[in-house]
Amino acid sequence: MRDDPAVVDLVHRAAGGDQAAWDAIVARYAPLVWGICRRHRLSDMDADDVGANVWLRLVERLGTIKEPAALPGWLATTTRNECLQVLRAKRRHVPVENAEFRDEEGPPSDEWLLTQERHIALRAALESLSDRCRHLLTLLFGEPPTPYIAISDSLGMPVGAIGPSRARCLDALRRSPALTSLRDPAPAVGEGRS
Amino acid sequence: MNDWDTDEGLSADLAEALRARAAVPDRFVRLGKEAFAWHTVDAELAALTIAEPEMAGSRAEGAVLRALTFVASRLTIELEVTDTALVGQIVPPQPGELTLRRRDGSTRAVSVDAVGWFHLRPRPTGRFQLHLRTADGMSVVTEWTEL
Repeated sequence: MRDDPAVVDLVHRAAGGDQAAWDAIVARYAPLVWGICRRHRLSDMDADDVGANVWLRLVERLGTIKEPAALPGWLATTTRNECLQVLRAKRRHVPVENAEFRDEEGPPSDEWLLTQERHIALRAALESLSDRCRHLLTLLFGEPPTPYIAISDSLGMPVGAIGPSRARCLDALRRSPALTSLRDPAPAVGEGRS
Repeated sequence: MNDWDTDEGLSADLAEALRARAAVPDRFVRLGKEAFAWHTVDAELAALTIAEPEMAGSRAEGAVLRALTFVASRLTIELEVTDTALVGQIVPPQPGELTLRRRDGSTRAVSVDAVGWFHLRPRPTGRFQLHLRTADGMSVVTEWTEL
């Protein structure tokens, strides 16, 4: 996968000490890190520990990241290792017969990781849209979805205009530069990922 | 794999992506943002390499319940958890300042003496992180650990 220019910029600015750029990196990848903790069935407290340690490691290596496209893969591997460390520590603290060592999920599969990368790109693309499109798509497809009548009230848009607007905004989303790296001719397998 | 060329495929994928984001607790994101504080102090991360539970034997401080070792490139922080205190040793021995940080953001600072020894009493509980600044200017932060 090609480096998303926006991520290259965020990593560069964060390495220079820009907290807002770091916050954007965390917001972008937190669902990936959280999702892996969930796959390992960690408690909320343990997931917090894992997350905090993963971000610490990323802070430490910010200045050395050469290929931001490799970030999701690196985050996935680092998070899994931290999860396994937590699970191993827990196993030492409980009687063997009661130990439930849960790693039956195994490493995140390439397919799972690719899905996460698509989600990351889609959320970034959504953020890049006009306020009106972003609000409309978030209301339509967010959790829980908002009924048309409530959307009409909220955005001051006739119910009859929602359908056409939805199509226009989805098209804007589709053309967003944030999706370019995932939509170009398929790169060779494994390219740009470590 | 969903198809982004159709509105149905694109919106289904978008809905899934938004659900995944909504599932992440705000607290989890906030902890991530706070980790950037360590970039500012240019601290090196010390990884927990050894965590020995319930060691036998006793010391002047009382029974050692657990021993933890954090390793950075140029020094090691050895911790022992006793009934009443968290005692530690910097290796190689050197003086400095040590700050213990809790999840709620509260901190406790203690001095590390000339032979690299320090103690935190009463014993802290729960999750913590240590930040060591040595007298000669090294800055080391440990991974988050639970006592």
